[in-house]
Amino acid sequence: MFGQVLITEFLKLRRSKVPWGTLGGLSLAPLGLALFMWILREPGRAAQLGLVGAKANLSGLEATGPAYLSTLTIVFGVGGMLLLPFIVAYIFGREYVEATAKNMLALPIDRRWFVIAKLVVAAAWWLVLVVVVLAESLVIGMLLGLPGFSAGVALGAVGGSMRAAAISYLLAPVVAWVTVAGRGYMGPIAFALAGMAVGNLLGKTGWAEWFPWSIVPLMIGMVGQPQTLPTGSYVVLAAMFVVGVVATIAQLRFADNAQ
Amino acid sequence: MTVGMVSAISTHALTKRYHDVLAVDSLDLDVRQGEIYGFLGRNGAGKTTTIRMLLGLIRPTNGEVKVLGRRVSSGETDAFRRVGYLVETATAYPNLTVRENLEIQRRLTRTNPAAIDSTMALLRLEPYAEKRAGQLSLGNKQRLALARALLHSPELLVLDEPANALDPAGIVEIRELLRALVDESGVTVFMSSHILAEVAHLADRIGIVHEGRLIEESSREELAAKARAFAADAYTPEEREQALLTADLERYFLARTGGPAEGGEA
Repeated sequence: MFGQVLITEFLKLRRSKVPWGTLGGLSLAPLGLALFMWILREPGRAAQLGLVGAKANLSGLEATGPAYLSTLTIVFGVGGMLLLPFIVAYIFGREYVEATAKNMLALPIDRRWFVIAKLVVAAAWWLVLVVVVLAESLVIGMLLGLPGFSAGVALGAVGGSMRAAAISYLLAPVVAWVTVAGRGYMGPIAFALAGMAVGNLLGKTGWAEWFPWSIVPLMIGMVGQPQTLPTGSYVVLAAMFVVGVVATIAQLRFADNAQ
Repeated sequence: MTVGMVSAISTHALTKRYHDVLAVDSLDLDVRQGEIYGFLGRNGAGKTTTIRMLLGLIRPTNGEVKVLGRRVSSGETDAFRRVGYLVETATAYPNLTVRENLEIQRRLTRTNPAAIDSTMALLRLEPYAEKRAGQLSLGNKQRLALARALLHSPELLVLDEPANALDPAGIVEIRELLRALVDESGVTVFMSSHILAEVAHLADRIGIVHEGRLIEESSREELAAKARAFAADAYTPEEREQALLTADLERYFLARTGGPAEGGEA
């Protein structure tokens, strides 16, 4: 039965503009980064075109291949903490916004399959975004002709970006739970923003390795240099994933589903 | 029509309390297989809350529900394998076509693919098969919701205000469709409404719910007799004349617009 549920969850996205919107949004990131690199490399021409170079200079970045590629990891880490919750909120929240949850939940199907199928769809959607935008980033990187841009460095950046994207996915089920508990889009998006804000705040403290929303920023170098995380951090993230899945299933099984 | 003695729906002391509001109060229902049961009540009487409990969407504060002999408990959805339902407003995935919405239902109820076309034909949805649900009129959205409920040939239909948004001809059409399903296929229908006329035309038995309590339950004939006796005392001749005029006007309107009730029951 899970196979049928999964097929229908993909079918529900047909003609939806939201996947294209998320692709458009994320694909702007490497273009913005490339512009940043170009300003750093060509400050005179950028100034002639009216592009302010001061902010670019203040970033402390250099117009090199390794700098460009390491910043990509931040893009996918931040994307995983902001865009992925938006995707999860859409997949789970539309059932409430479009008032179809009541139709779905009275079907003769164990409700856990809907939760798992929706999380699989979110994972697939996120994976497609990451792969497409990574490919776009590499093409742009090659076209920029930045010094130090090599296959080895690119491969390392791809690995780092995929790891950041995967790690941030572990926080997705908690967002799913907030969505079904709040029955809409606003709750999970506010939750993701708050998580990121607190994560950044705690990222500068000694608790960063133990707070789920600080772990990703710590790993991708959003707060200082990228760090190798202790095993405990991964255990915390895995526990968050399990708690999120169980809480979402329990919410659909045992809470009142009145719209 | 053969009304069985086996219960399609039974509730015992069914109660739902939201903080200090008692939405459903010790409701005992017994809907027999093969009958149309009209669940009549004003807005806010507890009809939709009862239907949500019947379908396992909300948990009773107290009491129990059995659907087709199986106890409904929260999250236990196996009892609904042979149940079709329409809860409150008719909703569908707006970005999907009528056919795609039914395809989702078909897959999730493990129904034969041919059922989509036959159900669309039954509900006269064929001209809209490739139209997005979000672009349908309210009446056609209601038809789509009914098609979803009927797609897997259920033994029991639980319909919350099935005539919502339908025009008079559509109401008569759905009325005839439900009657045919009961008479020809032995389907049981539990339908809620706040419009007495809608229930009176169709239901074999009628339960009146008020402030969460079942205050009256009788056959259509018994209720009609009570209503006539009541009307004789309660209404002026002018009011009775007005009621007859309303019925005549509806029949005339249907006849002029080619509705299915032309010359027949309206």
